[in-house]
Order: sequence, then structure tokens, then C-alpha cells
Amino acid sequence: MKQLLATLGLVVLVPTLSARPPFKKALADLLHLPTASRLNDCRTCHLPGTDEDRPHNAFGERLKKVRAELKKAGKSFDITARLLAIADEDTDKDGVSNLLELLAGHFPSDATDRPNQEAIEQARQKQTELLASLTGYQWRPFDRVERPALPLVARRDWVRNPIDQFVAAEQESRQLVPRPEASRVMLLRRLYLDLLGVPPTPDEVKAFIEDASPLAYEKTVDRLLSSPHYGERWGRHWMDVWRYSDWAGWGEQVRDSQPHIWHWRDWIIESLNEDRPYDRMVQEMLAADELSPSDPKALRATGYLVRNYKLLSREKWMQDTVDHTAMAFLGVTLGCAKCHDHMYDPITQREYYQVRAIFTPHHVRTDRIPGVLDTRQNGIPRVFDQDLNAKTFVFTRGDDRLPEKEPLEPAVPESLGGKLLIQPIQLPREAYDPDRRDFVLREELAASERAVATARGKRDEEFRKVQWSLLLSPQPLSQIVSTAVERQRNATWWLAALDYELAEAKYRSLQATIAVEQTEKSSPEWETLAKAATRTQRQVALLEARKTAWLAKKDQRAKALTSLAQAEKEAQAADSVNFKPRDVKVYPTTSTGRRLAFARWITDRDNPLAARVAVNHIWQRHFGRGIVPGMFDFGKNGQPPSHPALLDWLAVELMDSGWSMKHVHRLIVTSATYRQASTPTPENLARDPDNVYLWRFTPRRLEAETVRDAIFHVAGALDRSMFGPDIPHAKGLSVPRRSIYFQHAQEKQMEFLQIFDVASVTECYVRRQAILPQQALALVNSDLVLSRSKEVARQLGGDDPAFIEAAFLRVLSRTPSPEEQTTCLEFLRARGERGRENLVHVLYNHHEFATLR
Amino acid sequence: MTQSSRCPGVTRRSFLVDTGMGFTGLALAAMLYRDGQARGTTTDGKPHHPPKAKSVIWIFLCGGVSHVESFDVKPELTKYHGKSIETTPYKGVFDDPRIKDIVSGNPGHGGRRVLMGLNTGYKKYGKCGLVVADWWKHIGECADELAVVRSLWTTDNDHGAQLQWHTGRHVREGAFPTIGSWVSYGLGTLNQNLPEYCVLGTPTGDCCGGAWTHGAGYLGPEHAGVRLNVGTDQPLPFVRPPAGISQEEQLANLSLLGKLNTLSGIDYPEDADLRARIKSYELAFGMQTAVPETLNLSRESRATQRLYGMDNPSTRPFGQLCLAARRLVEKGVRFVQVFHGGGGGGAWDAHSGIKANHGTLSAQTDLPIAGLLKDLKQRGMLQDTLVVWGTEFGRSPGAQGDGRDHHPQGFCAWLAGGGIKGGVVHGATDEIGFHAVENRHYVTDIHATVLHQLGLDPRRLEVPGRKRLEIDFGKPIYEILA
Repeated sequence: MKQLLATLGLVVLVPTLSARPPFKKALADLLHLPTASRLNDCRTCHLPGTDEDRPHNAFGERLKKVRAELKKAGKSFDITARLLAIADEDTDKDGVSNLLELLAGHFPSDATDRPNQEAIEQARQKQTELLASLTGYQWRPFDRVERPALPLVARRDWVRNPIDQFVAAEQESRQLVPRPEASRVMLLRRLYLDLLGVPPTPDEVKAFIEDASPLAYEKTVDRLLSSPHYGERWGRHWMDVWRYSDWAGWGEQVRDSQPHIWHWRDWIIESLNEDRPYDRMVQEMLAADELSPSDPKALRATGYLVRNYKLLSREKWMQDTVDHTAMAFLGVTLGCAKCHDHMYDPITQREYYQVRAIFTPHHVRTDRIPGVLDTRQNGIPRVFDQDLNAKTFVFTRGDDRLPEKEPLEPAVPESLGGKLLIQPIQLPREAYDPDRRDFVLREELAASERAVATARGKRDEEFRKVQWSLLLSPQPLSQIVSTAVERQRNATWWLAALDYELAEAKYRSLQATIAVEQTEKSSPEWETLAKAATRTQRQVALLEARKTAWLAKKDQRAKALTSLAQAEKEAQAADSVNFKPRDVKVYPTTSTGRRLAFARWITDRDNPLAARVAVNHIWQRHFGRGIVPGMFDFGKNGQPPSHPALLDWLAVELMDSGWSMKHVHRLIVTSATYRQASTPTPENLARDPDNVYLWRFTPRRLEAETVRDAIFHVAGALDRSMFGPDIPHAKGLSVPRRSIYFQHAQEKQMEFLQIFDVASVTECYVRRQAILPQQALALVNSDLVLSRSKEVARQLGGDDPAFIEAAFLRVLSRTPSPEEQTTCLEFLRARGERGRENLVHVLYNHHEFATLR
Repeated sequence: MTQSSRCPGVTRRSFLVDTGMGFTGLALAAMLYRDGQARGTTTDGKPHHPPKAKSVIWIFLCGGVSHVESFDVKPELTKYHGKSIETTPYKGVFDDPRIKDIVSGNPGHGGRRVLMGLNTGYKKYGKCGLVVADWWKHIGECADELAVVRSLWTTDNDHGAQLQWHTGRHVREGAFPTIGSWVSYGLGTLNQNLPEYCVLGTPTGDCCGGAWTHGAGYLGPEHAGVRLNVGTDQPLPFVRPPAGISQEEQLANLSLLGKLNTLSGIDYPEDADLRARIKSYELAFGMQTAVPETLNLSRESRATQRLYGMDNPSTRPFGQLCLAARRLVEKGVRFVQVFHGGGGGGAWDAHSGIKANHGTLSAQTDLPIAGLLKDLKQRGMLQDTLVVWGTEFGRSPGAQGDGRDHHPQGFCAWLAGGGIKGGVVHGATDEIGFHAVENRHYVTDIHATVLHQLGLDPRRLEVPGRKRLEIDFGKPIYEILA
């Protein structure tokens, strides 16, 4: 019945009456019967005919017409509703109702195809089941999210908050008994690893155990959620979903993503720590350049789009952008509709390209940041609409060599509701003309001024050398000048003097050019300023020509002299306003507003998917399994949710709390569901071996970053400093910064993390958590763990029993059991001098160290 | 873990009995569970039909080896040397509709019209009379073992075709399971101390698929190829115990670890993760010695080393890899992928100076590969070891200066051993080696043939939720099976 319910919910995805295969399948799925193969037949609704022309039969006509009747009556008119509305009618007048005929696997519009009495009786039984199932919670992922009623449960004393009520309801219907609360130390370790990505220190464990307040756990939750390291832990989770990648390429050539994309990573961490609303985060990632064009901090968010940059294929770049945006924020496999209409979900191929049109105009660039003139050193990679008139076409069969004739307008899939409300956006000057921002001008002038000072210094130094050689020389001046050596020395001095003159001219020219550029052309001063700029530029050209001529080798001298004569002539020419503007890039003054409209549509209260998908991501990372297990597919081809009502309730909580993710975390980690022990019982295990219904906390392997960070942290060696440029991956075993700050790109990843299934750079909606011998080798043989073991052994004193207790507390955040004490004592006695560091090393390799229990 | 297999029938008590015997005693219990990871619903690590081969040595030459100057020799090229194709009887090749099958990676490649004569001699070899170019004369001596497929085609005209050769998908589509990972997924290992799928040599460069050419895509990291560095101190990351730690010390540590894991596992009966971890430590412990030991080529006789060309500086590097491959297969490794000329577009990418390029590179590889075939044969291993020789595409019949351009429309590969018919040629290109014209095979037909010989049906290697296309499966080339 559960499965029937699930399929029922999905049926409503089909919006139109066109009987393409999914629609037929919808009917079959709705009735979920052995007769499905018969039902999945055109003749249920159609008369015989050709593929092009297959008119409806009487039943098909009726099914079509009732849509209008229901719509007029203000009722739901999806296929389920329509079918139920005409269930008791008897279209072919053979004395058996439409629904019974369908359930019996017969055609409701063919009187000669009548089920026998036995089949009718069986169909009645199925009808009762079907109608009962329709009164259960309806999973309609493509409908607006409404707050579901809380179910009534028997085990009310177990319930801590509404999450538990939903969980208990599912457990009770399956005779599952929830596990008692985990021990306090285990709970604390779970909480630290889950919220901060590092285990608690012994002091933190002791403080928690000694805190007798009934709200000790809740207080800890609040403290951890306001720790800056929460952003690092959960930032990495979202970086998986949003496909964080540092730049990759071939040699120096940037092929994927962009340099300095770590600014986006820092924005993610900061945003999470500030509990920036999720809707705002989505909007900034997709369209900060349209939403906050003057705010460089917000612009970092568009790293989300920048990351898709692909030098070698704009086609793949666009494809990744569309596919992953749909999967990450909407849980829809829109990408399936690139070559043909979606086979499962109500999305047409045309709609795929209409969504693509939202992104067609955008491109990437790197903006300067104060203090760094050279964007190769640092800068903010960001998106902007480059080509406002770029057209988008449907590609026949998805083949970019076969565009259709007519371009498309941007739009969103109709079946998801809502409209794209596009308003072109006038950009402020700093956005379209970033190299004329005050700080850029200031810094360019300052740099030019510094160049003057350097050139002056050089000239003075060279001059001193010449002076000294003159003073010290016993020879008459004429002789000195005539020697080759001194000629060279004088030449250096002369050149330094020329360079100084040139630097000064350039500075004056830059000043003059900026001055005229800052002035409106219509203003009375403009002409004077333009003439001044031209004059200074001519002076620069003259000095440069002079320098070239001076340095020219014999065979180039004639040409250089001609150029010099030309420059001299120019310098003496009449004043002109034909100055050369500075070589800066100016971008379009408007942005299409498409991406902002799209982001607002995604995060609209009426969008059915955004909040559901977001809370599902959060849930999956707390419990190891999503309520909808296929994180990126809420459509018909995805897996049905285990707790549909809970997911909807959480989605409403997220939205009603102002999209506060910390609110959702708090609800989850303070629930009784989360606090359960992870130990199994045979009865529960037999009924629900995969713990789908959450009768315990599912133990799982820690993620790669957490394993590495914990290794350092346990030894008190983790460098907790935050943010900044990506650290070369090769330094991963020696630099004790948190793993999130290391280079993470295709082929540029830390080997240690790769061994522990670090996120794939291209797609990671769920982390893999394999347990492999290579991991054992890395933990047993790496100097990373060996050195930390020695450090920990050195740090801990006391006699053997005290040492064992302290070591357990350090590495596993708990005290040893008596049996463990005895076993370890025997080990220490037998192993002698290196026993202690070996014991710590063993604890680092303990199953519990790399496991969340 | 929800993904893990469960072990009904193992009670908490029997679990403790099994695992309570110290580190080495754990082996028995853990061996029962191959790796603690479910294989999906369609595979149980057993073949689907009786296999002909147990292992595969998959040799891949990066950059594109000239087919017309290796195993599909075209004398017509010499006849029409310097002539534009339009002036020869083969003027129609550019009008062939199949030319459009190419998904251009780089439109700059292709369209070379002035034919170039052969840069090497050729002659017939073996009882079968297979024509082989002089560059490959040592392999030629093994002609009666080879089944040459001369009618391969692929769709990428740039070196992303290297990835395509291994996954069947165009590089633009991203990472998919490679043939080696399917073998690992479908069959598992025959040796508990070595990885199932090993990778030797320098693989394909980042530009052209990189690690994806020996990855596992959605099959998961446990099925990805494990790179082993032959001839180095660290053949596998962290495989060597650090200096100053004796085996005795390590065993004592591991024994304590086993006891502690067992104690803390009391409350977690039937925990597949714990079982997997215990087993992973056993494997790791075994690998510490088995991997360096297997890759220790000095154990081989002088005569064997000479067979692989290890006495010659030019053949030694690749000879080492071929010999290591044999030693791995001997120990039960399922799939050994041996790369030659990896990095960048690939060493064989002879856009210019093909004579020098292919002359040098074939001199590095021809003898070791022939040595491998002969060695396998003399040890009786060839009958259940399938050797595949391949490259991403051929080289153009037309000249590009004194080199040849990429050529995806028609190229060749060969298979030997493992139940493959020897001394046969299957399929053909046209007289100038331009189009594969007879019995055309897309690259995944080679995959299907390999899987078939291993007893696997590619269509039964589906992973739930992962759509495989018709093109992924390929069809076994039955004509070359013994």
C-alpha cells in the first residue's frame, strides 16, 4: 500500500491530456495492478488509428471533458481527481463501473470487454484499498507546500518536537520501537562531529558531563551553532551540492572554474555562520550581480555560476549550469529534457531550452579588489550579462549543430507553477565600469607615482656612480669618456635619466587621462582637459620613441629614428582632443534581469520544490539518508520519500522561519529521533534493516575532511584560522589548516582525502563512504597519524591506567570500559617504551575514530 | 550503512566467536564477506556464464598509433604517395555520410587530403600470414595468437577519445565506469592481498580524461583502478610501513586494534561497516608485503627479464610494466591496465615526424609486448589471460607535413589469449585505411568481447538508477572467439 501511495502522489505530475507514454504509465501506476500492462494500452482511452491520428473513445472523451467540469467547480483536476470523478460512471453501459473495469484490467469503453463476476469481486477489493490509500498523506512534490497536520501517536512521552511525531507515526504503523537516548558522551561527540566537523576535547566532554542543567544539551546545541566552525563544517556540505571547484587547467591555461574562486567558499562559510536566509543565498549565488551590483562581498556568491566556466566548450558550460542548478535547487532532472521531452516528468524539451535562455547572456570576469592591481594575484571572479541579445535555440535532438530556426524566450517549466517576472536592471557605474572605481584610480595613480620614485632613485644612483668614477679617475675627463667602459656607464646613467623622465610623463599622462575621463563630455572643461591629456600622451610617446632609438641595434636604428621623428612632429602638432582612453574594459550598462527573476521564482513561497529540496539536503547530512533518498530527483523517476509529511512540515518550517537553516538544524538535533542510540535491536533490524524509519541513529563513516581534521584536532594541532586562498593540495599532510581550505579541483586534490572518498569535483549530491584497505594503509603508515600519535603520547602523563583513560578520552571522546582498560594495560606492559605512542596510534585506527555513532 | 550487505544468520555470539581470535583469526570471519559492500541487485560477483578468461591485460598506447603502419598496412598509400585523394580512385571518402559521426573535439583536426606513403616496411608473419608493419615485427612473430580487429571507429577526433576507448562515452559527457571497473564490479578479485583492478604506467593526461580513464564513475571508488608505481619505493600510497616500525610491532598493534574493535563492536552485532573495516586492515596488512613483493621484478630470471627487454635501456621501462602485469595476473588480479606514452595528448600523437616518433616508440613497446605474449604462452597462462592492445584512434592516410593527423573513422586493435581465436583478421577499412567499411565496430564492442570472455553479460551489469545506453553495452565480436 505504501508503494501505491507513493506512486499515487507522483501521478499528479502529469499536467496535460496528451497521452504520451508517461501519461499512460501514470494511469497504470495509479492503479498499480497486475493488469498494468493491459492498462498501459492506447485502447483504454483511444480508438484504433494511426500514430498521428488516434481519436479518443467514449471513456477518453469523458476523461478529457471532466477536467473542465472540475476546474469550473474549483476542484483539483489532475488525472487522479478526474479518474475518481468518473469512477462510478459506466461509460460503455455494460453494468460495470469504469473504475472496476480498469481495476479488473478491462476497457471501460468497450461493452464487449466485460470482466466476469470473479474479476469484479477482486476489483471491488482493490477499489477499497485504493480509496483507503487516497485518504493517506499525499506526496505531491510539484504542488505548493502546505503545512501538514501533526499525526496522532501513541508514544507521546517519547516525542520532543513535531519531527518525532511524524517519525513515531511511521514507526508505530510498522511495530518499530525507537531506541533510547544515546549516552551523553556519545551524543556530545555526535553533535560536535555533525555540527563542527571535529570531536570534542576532553575538557569539553567533562564540562558537558558535569553540567547538571536539564537544558545542558540544548545549550550546547546553541553554542555549537554559533561557533564559526559550524560554517566550515556545513559549508563543505553545501560545497558538495553546489559543486565547488578550484580552477583546473592545462599548465597555466584556465580550463575549468576560475582562479580566486575561494572567495565564494569564504562567502558560503560567512553566510552560514550569519544564518543568512537560504532564499537570499540562492538569489545571491544566481544573481548577486543583479541584486547587489555594488556590493563586492555579495558578488562573491556568483562563484556558484563562475564554477561552471569551461574554456573548451560553452555548450558543456551551459549544460552543467542548467542541469546542476535544476538538480541542486529544485531536485529536478531538467537535463533529461535536453534531447527530448522528459520521459518521466512534465517538462518539455522546449522548456529545457527556455530555462537555458535565462543563462545564455551571462559570462564570467574577475573584478579588482582594493590593494591588488593585478587580477592574476587576487580578485573576485563573478558573473555578468555580457551579451544581452544572445539568442537561445532548441537544439534538435540536443545536438548543438542543429539549432531550430526560431529563438526562444526565457521561461520556467509550466508544471512547476509561477511565472518568470523579468525586469531589465540598470547597473550602477561601478558595476559596468569597474576599472574607474575610485580605489582603482587611486591605486593606479599610486602605482604610477611609485614607479616615478623608483625611476628617480635609479637615476640618482646611476648618477652617483658616474660622479664617483669621475672623481676617482686620475685621467682627464675626455679620456674617460672615450673609454668603452665609461661610455657604457654613462649610457646607463643616461638611460636611467630617460626612464625617470618617462615615468614622470606617464604619471602626468595618467593623471590627465583620468581627469578627462572623469569629466562629462558636455562640460565646459572637457575640451581643455582632453587637450591636456593628448599633450601628455604625446610626451610619453616621444620619450618612448627616444628610448627605442637609443637602444636600437644597428639594423633597427633607421626605423627607430623615423619613428622618433614622427613622434617629435606629433609632439609639436596643434592641440587635439584625440586622446587615447585608458585600456580598460567596460561592460554593458544593463543586465537582463533574467537570473534574478529565476532566483526569485525558485525561492518564492509558492515554488513547490526549493524548500523541500533544501531541508532534504540538511536532513541527509544529519542522518546519512535523505527523506527523499535520491537527492536530485524529486520527480517521477526518483525514489519516493520515507516521510513525506515530515519533509513538507520541515519545508514549511524553513520558509516560515525566514529560511533560517539554523532553525532547521536546531529542530533536528534536539529531536528525540536524532538523540537515539545507534545500537540496533534484532526485532527492529528484522523489520527495517536499513533503518529507513529511523528507529535508531544510523552509524556511518566520517567524511574525508572530518577524518583529517580530527587527526590534527585530537593532538591539539589543528590550526583554526579561517578563510583565504586555497592551499596547495600537496601540503595537506604538513599544513594543519582545516581541509576545506585546500585546493580542490580535478586532478588537484589531496591524495589523503581522495582515499577517503572526498567529494567528486563535478558532482556530489551524496558522499560515498566506502571502507577500503587504502584507507587502512593511510591511517597505519602515514606520518600524519604517526607524528600525531607521538605528540598525544607525549602530552598525556600519569600512570598506565590514567594514560589509557586520557588517551581514550582524547581520541575517541569517551572513557574505556573495564575490559578495554585491561586489554590496553596488558598491551602497555608487553610493549614497553613505545607502547604509549603505539596505543594512541591504535586508537587513531579504531573503528570508532572514523565513525559517527 | 544502508548500502551495506547484511549477513542474516550471523548472531552476535557467533560474530564474537569469529572475531575474538586476535588479528589473524579475524580473517576467517571476514573472508566470508567479500568486501562488505553490496554489489547492487544485478551482480553477485559470479560470472553469468562459464568464463574463458580469468584476467585481462589491457595495453593502451596514448596519442593514436598509426593503424596503416601497424596491423592494417595499406600499400595503396605508397602507390599514391603525394597525390591528393581527389585524383585517386578513393576520392569519395570525404563525401561518405559517416564522416558526420565525428563529434568534433577540435575542428582543426581532420581533412588531410594529400596521401602519404608508408614510413615503414611490412611483411607476412606466422602460419596465418598476417601482414604486420616492421615497426611491430616482434609482435608479428606472435601473429598466430592474434585476432586483429581492423574496423574500429570512434567519434572524438581529439584525444578525449582516450577516455572514450575506456568508457565508451565522449569526454564531454564526463566520467563513466571504465571497462576495468566493470570487471571489478562484476567479478571481484581472486587475491585478497592485491587490488582487483591495477593501473601501470603514466595514464592519460588531464586534458583527455585524466583519472577518469581508470576510474569507476558511479560504480564507486572501490572499483576504480589502483595506480601502482612499478620500479619505485612507494608502489601504492602509504603502502610501506614507516622506517623504524618492525613487522612484529605492527602486528602487535593490529592485534590490539582487532581486540578493541571487537570489544566496542559488542553493541553493534551484524555491523557491516565494522566487518568491512576489520577486513580492510587485513587486506592492507597483506598489501604491504604483497604489492611490493609482486612488483619486485628482480625475482625473475635473467632469461625472463631479457624476454621483456629489461636488459635494454629503450625497452626496459615498458618491459617492466609488462612483466609487472604478468606477475599481477599470476597472483589473481582481474584487470591490469598498462599505459604507454601517457600525459598530454599522448606520446604517439605524431602530427609531425611520424617516422622518428613511431620508430622510437614502437622500439620501446614492440619487444616487451611480444615478450609478454611469449611468456604468458610458455607459462600456460595465455589461455585464460586476455591481452588487448589498443589506442584511441588511428592516424590519417593523408599527410600533415611529415606526420599524420588524428583519424577516428577507422583504426585497429588486437586481442590475444583468453579464448580468442588466433591468427585471424576481422573487419576491414577501405584500401587507404580511411573508413572502417566491413564489420564496423564501435569501441564498446571490444568491451563486450572482453566481458563475454570473462563470463559476464554487459546487459546484466546494470546499476539500478543508472541509465545505460545501447552504445554502452556493445556487442561481443563472436567471429574472433575460439
